[in-house]
Amino acid sequence: MPKGFQITQQFRPIGKEGYLTVLDKNGNEKKIGIERIHMEEDTCKQLHLADCSLLDYNRAGVPLVEIVSKPEMRSGTEAMHYVEAIRNIVVYSGTSDGKMEEGSLRCDVNISVRPYGSTTFGTKVEIKNLNSTKNIESALDYEIARQTSLLLSGTPVQQETRRYDEASGKTVLMRVKTDAVDYKYFPEPNIVPIKLSDEFVNDAIATCPELYDSKKERYVKLGLSVTDAEIILSDIKNATYFEGGLANAKSPKGLANWLIVEVNAYLNKNGIAIDEFPLKPEVLAEISNMQEGGFTHKQCADILNAVLAEGISPKEAQAKLGIQLMVSNDDEVIAAVNAVLDANPQSIADFKAGKDRAIGFLIGQVMKSAKGKFNPAVVSKFMNIEIRKR
Amino acid sequence: MSYLDLSIREIHEALVNGETTPLELTKEAVARAKANKENAFETICEKEALEFASSLTEVEKDNVFYGIPYIAKDNFSTKDIETTASSNILKGYVPLFDATVITKLKAAKAVMIGKSTLDELAMGGTGTTGHLGTTYNPYDPEHKRMVGGSSCGSAASTAASIVPFALGSDTGDSVRKPASLAGLVGLKPTWGRISRFGLFPFAPSLDHVGYFTRNVEDSALLLGLLSGRDDKDSTSSFKPVEKYEEKIGESIEGVRIACIKEIDESITDPALLKKYKVSIDALRKQGAIVESVEFGKDLLDSIYATYIVISCAEATSNNANLDGIKFGPNYGGKTYQDVMMTARTKGFSELIKRRFVIGSFALMRENQDVLFLRAQKNRAKIVEKTNEILSKYDFVLTPAAPGVAPLFGAKSDKLSDEYLIADNHLAIGNFSGLPSITLPLGLEDGLPLGINIMGRAFEEKELFKVASAFENITGLKGLSVINKKEGNL
Repeated sequence: MPKGFQITQQFRPIGKEGYLTVLDKNGNEKKIGIERIHMEEDTCKQLHLADCSLLDYNRAGVPLVEIVSKPEMRSGTEAMHYVEAIRNIVVYSGTSDGKMEEGSLRCDVNISVRPYGSTTFGTKVEIKNLNSTKNIESALDYEIARQTSLLLSGTPVQQETRRYDEASGKTVLMRVKTDAVDYKYFPEPNIVPIKLSDEFVNDAIATCPELYDSKKERYVKLGLSVTDAEIILSDIKNATYFEGGLANAKSPKGLANWLIVEVNAYLNKNGIAIDEFPLKPEVLAEISNMQEGGFTHKQCADILNAVLAEGISPKEAQAKLGIQLMVSNDDEVIAAVNAVLDANPQSIADFKAGKDRAIGFLIGQVMKSAKGKFNPAVVSKFMNIEIRKR
Repeated sequence: MSYLDLSIREIHEALVNGETTPLELTKEAVARAKANKENAFETICEKEALEFASSLTEVEKDNVFYGIPYIAKDNFSTKDIETTASSNILKGYVPLFDATVITKLKAAKAVMIGKSTLDELAMGGTGTTGHLGTTYNPYDPEHKRMVGGSSCGSAASTAASIVPFALGSDTGDSVRKPASLAGLVGLKPTWGRISRFGLFPFAPSLDHVGYFTRNVEDSALLLGLLSGRDDKDSTSSFKPVEKYEEKIGESIEGVRIACIKEIDESITDPALLKKYKVSIDALRKQGAIVESVEFGKDLLDSIYATYIVISCAEATSNNANLDGIKFGPNYGGKTYQDVMMTARTKGFSELIKRRFVIGSFALMRENQDVLFLRAQKNRAKIVEKTNEILSKYDFVLTPAAPGVAPLFGAKSDKLSDEYLIADNHLAIGNFSGLPSITLPLGLEDGLPLGINIMGRAFEEKELFKVASAFENITGLKGLSVINKKEGNL
């Protein structure tokens, strides 16, 4: 039922005086203060058409959470990082899908500029229509420049609402604001006070899913690079897949590589998302483990492709492709290397004369004699050692 | 004499015995409603009522509401039946759903025969401000006296014996005051006892569903039907519904009743004073302990102002959706502001606009402290004092109104000192949410006088016990315009 007012947690917010740590534009950690976190209800969406306006009440009464930050961000980049950090929390806690483009995460930005040393804030301008974190950064950087140049030319900044025009990369005036609206807040008697017991609060904290930062830290401890951890965590579905394979993976880093490189390539090629990827994470872990067990990456990639193409198991693929384990016994490799060297004195002479290509030919001969049983890297290593002894 | 003049239980027995049928009852109620001269109706749902009554052919022996005709105040949402709250701004508004109480009555197969008039949007206590004009007191055929409000049509139609009960709503005294002026039993139960889902909100911290009956037992039976938790109203209580009629007839020996000294002193009507005193003596004779206690005159004097500030503040907010866009007539306009301004200018009477201005003013940032918050604090003080009295006494007994139904023109919505306490003290029941029942005390020149009893939260069963004892003292059980009685006092 459409009401003529909006319910918001004005007097007793869920939380206040918090902070988030984000990276500033120089990559240094910085705490951004959070004034309050409160619930309110979504109201009504307006659609303005050429000859009429429509009111969409479908979301009316649906609860949302508003997070009010303190005026402590100093650049578009910081603001972008701040919103990303919030998105990571809401996505990984299962609160929201965090999709800004669909409005499930929305952001209004207030920005003001003041001279160095000034103790009071300048006139603030509100920017709406920021539907991606990248837009937040671009819009704010544009607006900082705009307001700065206004002030430097002695023109006061107007209190107004602007919107970000993605095409031009500029902010555009929507309306000039007059005095702040008096919302006439007072308690809504239809909602009786709800007391959250300590038990409820503790349980909520205890059952909160592992969040982005903690996952990232754990992945790095498991041996992943920070970049790889971030790539995996950039999509919660990716992370879920990765976690699904972790228990069976001998090397988390190896599994991560398979996911980031080979699986991603497959997804891109077929235009599908990770949750549509046909292999179970355990199977990917098995293939990753084969590499750990001595198969070359190339061999494992062939196995993966066969598994994907034919829906067979990695073991079956290995048998079918006749892939054998590389010999890792150094003595056997050294013996084969020397056998080839003995048989090719001309190549040794060429090498000594400075023809580097000769060593490639010799390695090829060793590989050929081993019928794919040797790891090329190992062969190369010993060839370089042995040829110098001649 | 007709079956409609009887109590719910008596009508039920007649139905069970096959002396009458739901259809006959409904036809007669509709006929009486159509013949009504008091302007008590917004809508008479003849077609729907007769259709429903025709389907009621198997009397349910254990359901006393089966086939009983009733009337609902026109601020209860009724699916497919125009509901205007007696305001032009809601002209033509047809709700998409039933209020919970309407759903419960429908499930019990009670037959709604019409929607009754009210003071516009339930704001007002005179029965004169609805968009259809004044509703009259059936006890005065010359139509010179008010029936009171805001539930004027429901009071008039129950007193005129059109139906044995009618739903009302009570934010300040909108059931209990007209009950007094129309010689009825008017109940406002504990806040949260009956779901308000579908009742047009006026001031939700004070709003209650209430109703009129012509005897105490019917009131108790009806509470049993209408009470209970409703997930659609988060203020509705989880407390189990009781058999509220259970203690009716039990002795009131040892029951402790407080009268409020300043309220009694504010009564100037000699007939009322005399009958009130005699009734207290009779209560004492039955073993009740009746004592006079002080409430504090300043606190009582402040009730009206406190009520106006809080109720108007809440009303501005709750009626902000009446803007000509979502409900009721849209007169058009160049901008949405134009549309809203025209709809509200045409749709609300002067009294409503005045109340919205007061409410809005009280909520403005610069006024909240001195008006709204101060009123809230004062409300808390009044409630604290009331609870203190009810920690020592079981009930508070007061005259329900300063006297008989006043003449039109003698009183308006504007603040007057004349009956500052006597006319406004029933709002204590709304401030505190405590159950409060008005009962006929006697008649003076053929016009009813009433008293009110207030009890502790969720102790309606006890309240009905003492109310029933009082009913026996007055001898006015079943009083109506048709069923005229002199009473014992």
